[in-house]
Amino acid sequence: MTQRVPQAREVLTRLRAAVTRRVDGTKQRARDYRSRTEDGAIAMHGLVIASVLLTFLLFLTGSRWTVLPVLSFLGTMGVGWARYQAEAAKALTFLTTVATVSILTLIVAFLLLESIPAVRAMGVDLFMRVRNPAMEPPTLGQGLWGRGGVWSLTPMMLGTAITTLIATLIAAPVGVAGAVFVSEIAPGRVREVVKPGIELMAGIPSITYGFIGLTIVNQYFYAEFGTPTIGTYFAAGLMIGIMALPTVVTVAEDALNAVPEEIKSGALAMGSTNWQTTKSVTIPAGLSGVSAGVLLGVGRAMGETMAATVMLTHTKGFPSPVFDVFSRYGETLTTVIAFEGGNASGVHMSALFAAGVVLFVMVMLLSVASQYVEWRMHRKLGGER
Amino acid sequence: MSNVERNRLAGADSTAGDLVSTGILAVAVVTFLASWVLLLQWADETATVAGLSVLKLLGVGLVVVGGGLAFLGLGSWLDYVDTAPSSTAGVTVGAVFGLLWAIVGGLAATLVLGNDAALWLPVAALVGVGGFLASVLPPEDVGSTLPVAGVLILLGGFVAVGGINAGWTWSPAWSSAEFPGSELVPILVVFGTLLGAWSAGKAKAGFGAEGRQTGAYYLVGSVVFGMLGVLVLLIAFIVTNGLETMLTGASLTGGRFTLPFVGVRLPWPEFPFLLNQTGGLYVEIPGVLPAVVGTLWLVFGAITFAVPLGIGAAVFLTEYAERGRFTQVVEVATNGLWSTPSIVFGLFGLAFLVPRISGGNSIVVGQLVLGFMLLPLVLITSREAILAVPDAHRDASAALGVTKWQTIRSVVLPAAMPGTITGVILGVGRIAGETAPLLLVFGGAPYPSNSPNVLGSFQLSAQPPFVTNEALLSPASALPYQLYSTITAGVFPKEIFTNTEFGWGTALVLLLVVVGFYAVGVGSRLYFRRKLHE
Repeated sequence: MTQRVPQAREVLTRLRAAVTRRVDGTKQRARDYRSRTEDGAIAMHGLVIASVLLTFLLFLTGSRWTVLPVLSFLGTMGVGWARYQAEAAKALTFLTTVATVSILTLIVAFLLLESIPAVRAMGVDLFMRVRNPAMEPPTLGQGLWGRGGVWSLTPMMLGTAITTLIATLIAAPVGVAGAVFVSEIAPGRVREVVKPGIELMAGIPSITYGFIGLTIVNQYFYAEFGTPTIGTYFAAGLMIGIMALPTVVTVAEDALNAVPEEIKSGALAMGSTNWQTTKSVTIPAGLSGVSAGVLLGVGRAMGETMAATVMLTHTKGFPSPVFDVFSRYGETLTTVIAFEGGNASGVHMSALFAAGVVLFVMVMLLSVASQYVEWRMHRKLGGER
Repeated sequence: MSNVERNRLAGADSTAGDLVSTGILAVAVVTFLASWVLLLQWADETATVAGLSVLKLLGVGLVVVGGGLAFLGLGSWLDYVDTAPSSTAGVTVGAVFGLLWAIVGGLAATLVLGNDAALWLPVAALVGVGGFLASVLPPEDVGSTLPVAGVLILLGGFVAVGGINAGWTWSPAWSSAEFPGSELVPILVVFGTLLGAWSAGKAKAGFGAEGRQTGAYYLVGSVVFGMLGVLVLLIAFIVTNGLETMLTGASLTGGRFTLPFVGVRLPWPEFPFLLNQTGGLYVEIPGVLPAVVGTLWLVFGAITFAVPLGIGAAVFLTEYAERGRFTQVVEVATNGLWSTPSIVFGLFGLAFLVPRISGGNSIVVGQLVLGFMLLPLVLITSREAILAVPDAHRDASAALGVTKWQTIRSVVLPAAMPGTITGVILGVGRIAGETAPLLLVFGGAPYPSNSPNVLGSFQLSAQPPFVTNEALLSPASALPYQLYSTITAGVFPKEIFTNTEFGWGTALVLLLVVVGFYAVGVGSRLYFRRKLHE
């Protein structure tokens, strides 16, 4: 106890110093801006920012007068461009940057805002409830979506977990092998065919994958393996795995290419074979980048919508046992939004937004994790690229 | 290490080993391809070749591969074949083989002793440990061939004598599906031949470091071959199934084109599937014109929205902002935006844009939402392009005494243009096929009978928005959305196509549009790169 008080005081002093430094820096920057910018340009900056803010506020309230600040923005910008082009351009690029960040902020804000009614109605049960008490008897995983005012995302979360796991089991090993092939093994001519091929694979629209999955893959499993329904988690996961492949290959290949040539040459000069170099030098050095690729691939698989929507059965429930990937159940977080979003209202709609929040948080975590992993790799390999 | 004393030219005895391993590889490749032919249903499982059923032949193939491997391993061990094996095959290989043998032991025990975990589990563990030891303890040439050979001969022999035939099914208690022998055998054979090819590849290069390289390359190569095979199959499915629908009634000279003023009618190409409306009373051959026009408007709107924003932000981040907290935040936000699932963009558009702009599904909301999705791609690629402009260019320009903005405008941006254009085209290819957000904010009737007339719908008024456009504020169709609504709608309204046929046709047109964007993007990248290197 006695030690904590001086510590807290120290923290406080440091905090105050930091704030003072920040304030001084801002003051200095403001003074610089004032002295380096002409009065007219300052006026233009003020007017432009004011009209953008006003536009946004009026748009947010849904007013039809939004057009007025837009016109004032265009007018100010036009005059400013003619008189102070450099300042106008700088302001414009700054505004575009802010707009990019604020789009993400707006997405987060509106997803959270819209999912409040569902959270208020269901509480934590929205993500945890596995039995519906309104049912007689309350069976595990049954009637959790819309029966007796219960909206629970658990069946969909389980579905997303299952399809993502299957897709990852396919995309991760095959994708990493593909990356090793393209970056380390393939001769130049083969690479020139394989690389655009993989890019093209990434470009084929997901609805097309879904259509093929629906008319060919689903039918195949139904006819040959006697699945209880046309459309199973396994078939959808298989298709999603194929779709996530190009992401894994591209990012992992970039990482392997970023490993400096000197390291590889050093290993080769020691008399090791190409494969020994790849296995013991290149892959360990690029491992964080390769795992970043896998993480991004997992994120793609998780967010994949159309193929799953078309292929799954939209029956909500828990397969028993859980790893029965051929059961009649089939619904994920993405498919429930796509399938029911068009005609939902009230708590139902809000629960769909909550599904969006869960999805967004998971994918964002994966994205940030992969960026961190990649950043660490570049620092380890000497920073510059 | 071990290949120091090895010399291929002096290896007089290596021809026999080479011959056998090449033979095994050939058999493995044929068996591998044959199993795929069965799996893809191109041949019937009950078909016979030379009096033997195909499944039995696959088993025989496995036995041949296994026998050859055993011959190679023992021959190398007894020094009949010139090789340079390491002292052990390694723990990783041992672990894989141990697992494999555990599965074999477990399966055999269930067949003999019955489905009781207390009985088959110890047997599986015992056999697994045996397999592990058998591959780790002896030298590499024995350790990496004999365990594989054993598995292949056992499995292949069991299939070849008819232990598993096409009618046999395995229905485990944990699965709702049944696994018939007709599918299970080819699947097992695919994995078995991959393993055999790996082992034979090792033997072919004489084991040791060289052998491990060859084996690994065969495995990785076959995986990539499989991946490209999937790509080719996907495209082939769409083209073969969709071509007939797309070309229905199409001809090079069937149409008529009347020259204006002169009144002479000329033969003209005719393409009803691309140029006709989807619904409507008087349409003989339904087409996808509304969807094509809708996609064009969507792409146009998304580009107008996202490209200036993305390039502006990229310029600010690279030229004006100092690297620090702010640029880091923007970077994280951009990457986050890039990996945000498309359906979440749809939800956002539904909550934020729809009530404030049109009050319902509309083209303009679709354009904005796709613009949001295009934005991070444009930002990332144009930022990379701007960063790739050498600093010497900027310094040279600054040395002439011009301002920073003039440098950016006349030096940096032109130099970065090729990369940016390529990025935009590739990004457009991606959003042109995007469906999920369109379901929530854009889509209209499943079979529209007229294309959106955006240009003709502008109206001026004295009321505040001053300019209104009814067409932009109403729902429409786009190619991917058309495909989705064709899939989900029950029966196709016209008799000429079934739903599936119309879907394949739409999928082909969509694929052509997307591939077109990609071809232009990749082509422009190659063109600019070549120009740079000249």
